Amino acid sequence: MLTDRELERYRRQVALFGEEAQERLASARVVIVGAGGLGCPAALYLAAAGIGEVRLVDGDVVDRTNLNRQVLHGDRDVGRAKVESAAEKLRAQNLEITVVATYATVDDGNAAALVGGADLIVDAADNFRVRYILNRVALGARVPLIHGAVRGFYGQATTIVPGLTACLECIFPVAPPEEGIIPVVGTTPGIIGLVQANEAIKYITGTGDLLTDRLLVWDGRAATMTTLPVEREEDCRACGNGRCSRR
Amino acid sequence: MLEEMKREMQVRVRAFARLREAIGGDLTLEVPEGATMSRLLAAVGGTSEQAGEALFEENGELRGYVILMHNGRRVRRAEAGTLTLADGDEVALFPPVAGG
Repeated sequence: MLTDRELERYRRQVALFGEEAQERLASARVVIVGAGGLGCPAALYLAAAGIGEVRLVDGDVVDRTNLNRQVLHGDRDVGRAKVESAAEKLRAQNLEITVVATYATVDDGNAAALVGGADLIVDAADNFRVRYILNRVALGARVPLIHGAVRGFYGQATTIVPGLTACLECIFPVAPPEEGIIPVVGTTPGIIGLVQANEAIKYITGTGDLLTDRLLVWDGRAATMTTLPVEREEDCRACGNGRCSRR
Repeated sequence: MLEEMKREMQVRVRAFARLREAIGGDLTLEVPEGATMSRLLAAVGGTSEQAGEALFEENGELRGYVILMHNGRRVRRAEAGTLTLADGDEVALFPPVAGG
């Protein structure tokens, strides 16, 4: 049951999707992997929306060059663990929720434990090595994964529901190249991170049409947002015939 | 000596992200009738140095991560050499990004 205080806090969105949906948000556990450009806006809006438990996972510390886009961190946070800096702001934003900060870099060995028990995983990572690990873990645990990625004025996002939709490796069988310094304007991860948060809210509340089997493509230079249809690949290494156990 | 003129067809190219920047927007290209996806990609890559770089590796191979779509359907990289295009077709090209 929602308290009077919660009903007041969430009044404008309860008016949109009802009390039961708000209760679902309050009992949801969302893991956000990456407390950077995508993770900051996604986490802030999910915290504000009343996600019961927001778990942040990141093994990095705040650098001054992060501050143009990683909007939960400020000048005084330089040198702090990103998850600590972000968790502090999220707790200040919403007293009703639990914020868990895990200072760790996702790898093959720890991924399953780090995202264990989550209802939803938000891919706010900055490289495809970690993203492919998250995809495998999401498929194994049958937990939805909301992908986002950015560069420059460009971004992409998609929602993966294991067993039902194209997975990350169906869509991106080959990873885009790694770059040392990825140029980016802060608004790009702001927009994509909020698309991801919006997907999370929709999934948990059962509202609208998810970005499943569609790749949303944002072009900030042209100011256009397009979706491209994508589909499950039968021979996908992660979710198709190419893996050991097929659904 | 008289060779029949090879007829041309028009294919619309929708490019996204860096590739769009490289070719300056959407394009309609004229390619010989019966041209394959590979032939079209070569033509797109030939429009500018940046477009070529966005699509092809230094050895001339198509960059494996570029998402190819033909009339709204995904085309695998391996199919590009055999998939023949028709007049009025639309090809969409998206080089995905990786940052966060």
